Amino acid sequence: MNRLEATRIVVHAARDAPIVASLGHPAYDLFAAGDRPQNFYTWGSMGVASSIGLGVALAKPESRVFVVDGDGALLMNLGSLATIGLLQPPNLVVVVMDNGEYATTGGQATPTAHGADLEAAARAMRLDAATARTEADLQALVEAPPPGVGRPSTGRQPLLIVAKVTESRPTAKPPLDCVYIKQRFMAAIGNPEAAAPVVERR
Amino acid sequence: MSERLVNEPPAWAAGVCAGLHAAGSRDVVYVPDNPLSHVLGQIAERYRDVRLTLATREEEAFGIAAGLYLGGRRPTVLLQSSGLGNSLNAITSLVLPYQIPMLVVVSMRGDVGEWNAAQVPMGRAVGAILDAIGMPHATVDSPADAEHIVRLTATTAFDTRLAGACLVPRRITTGAAVHRGSAAAS
Repeated sequence: MNRLEATRIVVHAARDAPIVASLGHPAYDLFAAGDRPQNFYTWGSMGVASSIGLGVALAKPESRVFVVDGDGALLMNLGSLATIGLLQPPNLVVVVMDNGEYATTGGQATPTAHGADLEAAARAMRLDAATARTEADLQALVEAPPPGVGRPSTGRQPLLIVAKVTESRPTAKPPLDCVYIKQRFMAAIGNPEAAAPVVERR
Repeated sequence: MSERLVNEPPAWAAGVCAGLHAAGSRDVVYVPDNPLSHVLGQIAERYRDVRLTLATREEEAFGIAAGLYLGGRRPTVLLQSSGLGNSLNAITSLVLPYQIPMLVVVSMRGDVGEWNAAQVPMGRAVGAILDAIGMPHATVDSPADAEHIVRLTATTAFDTRLAGACLVPRRITTGAAVHRGSAAAS
């Protein structure tokens, strides 16, 4: 499975739910796989996508929240797994597109290419975790099966899926306007920024 | 934390809590330091409607706070000035360009009253760094002003969509403790 194919599966499973994408190829492929207002494309802040997704998941407990991360990016912010494990948001699904390389910067190998195991790291931090090597695996993991079906454990824990993917050359890029991305996203998830109340000054 | 600290918080800490609460912030994401423990204790004790979220590192705290804002909350980040260095990429490539507002309360190190040389270079640079990246900042000049300054920093941030920092100097957070000297005041 290449990353674009894997991303299409995540978009399909998310339905109307928000998806936060890490910068570079993961964000480019999210745009190509299915641009939608509920996509939050980052253009920087490498490593922080799972933290943004955690914040959205805490603010919107009624909604599933997806993160499309990269292996190199998650390795920059492994502490995020400890925080997610501490808070246990059951609605958060982090999908790590693990191609074993820093593809956006020229294909340098990441530690996962040499055996670093992000699924084991996530389990150690008390997330539910699994590795998908085929499209069918990934589909089964992201499609919100009932507890105990197609999931390693209860379905009441945050979930991290390591999607073992091959690199695929991105074909499109999301809009460059960061504020547009934000405002479209906030409106789409039921929180239009324009309607934010002004706090009284005393 | 002793009973006394919870029941009788320093005035500056009570002011920080009241100010962020008055500005509508009900989410505080933090990496602790010793002075901020007074704020955290107060929130836990007296502001039960405020959710406290611990982050492992300051950059992560800014990411979580950004997500909370996207989800409709008004976040506050509490950190020590040393953690500003850990946060700069998230601030400059997420918080500022996406115009994601938040209140940032910075417990200062390295300023007047410091005893640890390792804190000094970053502490001295905080104002210049914030100016260079274009994040507005105000300083709590007296314990009595803390509520007002924190509240105004927050309301300006949320109204203008520009994250703003409130710096709490060591002369405010340590009070007399600094004269006892050494690590006891850290």
